[in-house]
Parts: sequence; C-alpha cells; structure tokens
Amino acid sequence: MEGIVLALFVCLILALVTKYLSVPPIPFYIMAGVLLGRSGLGLVTEDPICTFFSDMGLIFLLFFMGLGLKLERIAANRTAVLTSGIIDLNVNMLIGFVAASLFGFTLVESAVIAAAFYISSTAMAVTSLIENRKLMLREAETVIWLMMFEDLVLIVFLALVSAANQNPLLLFLKIVGVLALLYALAHWGKEFLISILDRDDELPILFTFAAVLTTASFSMFLEVPKTMMVIALGAAFATTDPDAFEEHARPFKDVFLVTFFVIFGATIDLSGGVNLLMILVISLLAVLSKFVSGTITGLVIHGSAISGIEIWGNTIGRGEFSIALAYLCGSPIVVTTIAGVVILTSIVGSFTAKYSTGLRRGLLHMGRRKSPTRHLH
Amino acid sequence: MSLMALRSLNLPGVGTKYEFETDKGDTVAIFFTKSGTIQMYTLQNGCKAPSAAEMTPVEARRLGNILTGAIIEADQERVEIAFSALADLRITIHTFIIPKPIGGKTIEDLQIRAKTGSTVIAVCRHDQNIINPPPTFVFEAGDAALVIGESDQIKMFEREIMVT
Repeated sequence: MEGIVLALFVCLILALVTKYLSVPPIPFYIMAGVLLGRSGLGLVTEDPICTFFSDMGLIFLLFFMGLGLKLERIAANRTAVLTSGIIDLNVNMLIGFVAASLFGFTLVESAVIAAAFYISSTAMAVTSLIENRKLMLREAETVIWLMMFEDLVLIVFLALVSAANQNPLLLFLKIVGVLALLYALAHWGKEFLISILDRDDELPILFTFAAVLTTASFSMFLEVPKTMMVIALGAAFATTDPDAFEEHARPFKDVFLVTFFVIFGATIDLSGGVNLLMILVISLLAVLSKFVSGTITGLVIHGSAISGIEIWGNTIGRGEFSIALAYLCGSPIVVTTIAGVVILTSIVGSFTAKYSTGLRRGLLHMGRRKSPTRHLH
Repeated sequence: MSLMALRSLNLPGVGTKYEFETDKGDTVAIFFTKSGTIQMYTLQNGCKAPSAAEMTPVEARRLGNILTGAIIEADQERVEIAFSALADLRITIHTFIIPKPIGGKTIEDLQIRAKTGSTVIAVCRHDQNIINPPPTFVFEAGDAALVIGESDQIKMFEREIMVT
C-alpha cells in the first residue's frame, strides 16, 4: 500500500516539474520507477494493489485508443493514411527487427522489439504539435494520421501475439463476435447511453468506469484478451458520444496511466546487467529510421524531403504504446531494452519537436543560397 | 463579393480545425484543442511559416467581440442583440468603468432608472461579479458596471451619469 502512495506522490512532483519545463513526462516516470523499485531502493514492490493500478492504466489507455479510432475518417482519407502509414510501418519495423535479430534476440522477442521500435508516442506527437504551435503546418495532419495508422497496427499486433497460445481462427471469430455485439449494443442503446452521459450527477462517470471494467472482466469467460475487449468497447462507444466518454474516462486514465509507468519502471529487473551499448545503438537506429521513413513520407505525400524533417521531428519519441507492448509481451531483457529506447528517444524527440521548424528553415536557406535563381518572396 | 468557404475538420486526438482563405489570399486557421485552449494561426499569402497565438476560451471570446466590431474602447465593451421576433427589439449591453466622481454613490442616488431608463444588471469589482445589484448598492471608482437598455438609453447613461 505504501508503495503505491509513494509512487503517486512521485508522479505528482514529476508531473509538476515536467509540465513546468515542458518536456515529456513518460521517461521520467519510468526512471523514477526504476529508482524506487526492484532494481533501486525497493520501496515500490509488486503487491496486488500495484498490479491492479497498472492493469487499470493499460486498460484505460487502450479504451481511449479505441474511442479515438475514426474508421470512417480513415476510409475518407484512405490514400494519404495508407501511403504514409505503410512507409512508416515497413521502414521502421524492418530496421527494428533486423537490429534486434542482429543483437541475438529470438524471433518473437525481435518482433516485439520491432513493434515497440515502430510505434511512436501519440501523446507526445499531439502535445508537441499543440505546444510548439505546429497545428497549421500541412505535415501536422500527416503526423496525426500516421499515429492513427500506428494504432491500427498495434491492435493487429496485440491480436497476433495473444493468438500465439490458442487457435488463431477461433480467436479472430471471437474478437469479431465481441466487436459485433458491442457495436449492436451501442447502436440499439445509443439513446440510453446518451441520456446517461447527459446527466450531471455521478452516473456518467460511474457508468463509464463500470462499463470498462465489466468488459475487461468478461475477457476471462470468453478467452479474448482484455486488451482487445476494451479497444472494442472504445470503438463501439465512439459511435455514440466519444467526447463525453473521453471526458468521463480521462480522470481514470490520467491517474492509472502515470502509476502504470512508475510501476512498470519499478518492475524492471536490472540484475542480469544492462547492455547499455545495445540500448544506445537501438535508440540511435530508432531516431534514424524515423528520419528515413519521415523523409520518404515527406517526398511522397508533400513532394518535399524538407517536409519529412517536420514529420521526423514530431514522431521520434516512443512512449506509452511501446511500454504497453513491453508490459504485455516482453521478457525481462526485452522490457529493459524497450524501456531504454523509450527513455532515450522521448528525450531526443522533445528536442527535435521544438527545433524541427528552425532546422527546416535553416535547410531551406542553405538550399536557397545554392540556387540563386530561385526568388525570395 | 462572395464569402470564402469555411472548412472544418475534426482531427483525432487534437480537436476541431476551422480554416478559411481571405479575398487577399491570406489563410486563417483556428483550432479548438481538446485541452480547452484555442490556437489561432495566420498565414500571409506567399509566406511559408504561419504565426500563432494561443488563447484561453475567455480570451478567444474577447477576440471574437473585437472582430465583430462590438468593442469601442479597450476597457468598454458593447454588444447589441436584435430580437427579430419581438418587432425587431434591439437591446444593447454596455460596460462602463466607474470614474472617481461616482465612487461612493448608490444606484438610487444616481437615479439611473429615472434619468436614463437603463438598468445596471451587474458590477464587476476586483474580478468578482455582483449580479443584479440592489438600489442601495454603492459604487466604487474602478468598478465595471454592465448596463442594459436600448441604444438611446445607453447613450443617455453615458451623457447623464458618466459625466456627473
């Protein structure tokens, strides 16, 4: 019990400091966890309360992701989303997978590392676009759609990983069944749901919390992973009033997710030693591979490699989804590696996000000087 | 002259975007972010880098008032509402900053209703709002008084009350 209180208190201080300095909080939560946990002072231990908080954090993160899925919007924007998404997926998954394999990870471990290596942090990208006043840039929209595509890939990946120990076809059918049922409930119960959400007493927030937990707990009976259940619930609820659900679920997500990061850090086991060189090399590759995918995307979508720098600058940080993957399917060494990559890339990413526009202007000026025929406006 | 189309777009995870291009080819974009802040970008025709301002909802409403031409002076705001269903009734709401000579007088002393026909419906003092102040309410210099009435009555208030 004291462990979770300490973790919460540390989160509070870190949230204050990181907001003040406007740097991403996730790497600091994880590092605080490492210091307080198994490999550090041993103050935060894996008791049932901590496990409950972590699970809640993950469940609400994925519920939120489900709520944000706008499939009809993706369909309307198909070419741009698919083109940039597929470039991002192929370049980064491939580089991540090859790098992990070369460092001697097994096939499955390499796949998990590759996925964590590929998925940028949506939270960091969106915060960066808003805080650095970049929303009007045409690349901003590309970045937002890239994040959505990555979410879809994450869902497929989670489904594949959880299918490892059961019949994949049966699991697929079950997931489709759950999704259909939840969609039907959301469709036929839409008026009821909205009437609950419109109330100004405690019911909307109680209902949201209960709905998420109930759905998650059904996973045991159906043998469909919790992660899939809550994403499906989020996607189904998104057809009613997603903004209201976000509003009511946000307090739970905010509290549980930060404790999730600290507890995740606390469970990291450094007793087997840390291959710092390997983490450094993979992190460097993670920064470079986003540069490659960003540049190609910039060229293909916006007809300019310089646009790619903006896309790159805002997507370097790996964060919440990489950590979720490590938590769900990583062996201890994979967990340590992914945690290291998240810490390093998110710190690098916060700098590139701030200075990418300056960098881009610098490059444009250099280009202008080389070609004097081009007019300055 | 036709109004340029206003495009609106819902950006997942970010919020809602409104964008339009002016006759001169400048672009204005407004983002209502999910965190509650409002960002306004302007991009001059031919320029590459937009400039941006972030506002709280209160600041954004203030900007909106300025753009609709409602505000005459920086400290004094004026809004006119026309009720087309009520024989085109036009009601004006105007804020006045109370000058020193009026400080210490009550609404009754000043005979606001009798002299002008307008009504003080709220007073803002040190960032606190007093709604529907009673006739015995004592003004202090620096109060912001919100006065409601027809346009002529507001003019009368300005002439009769503010200059005493």
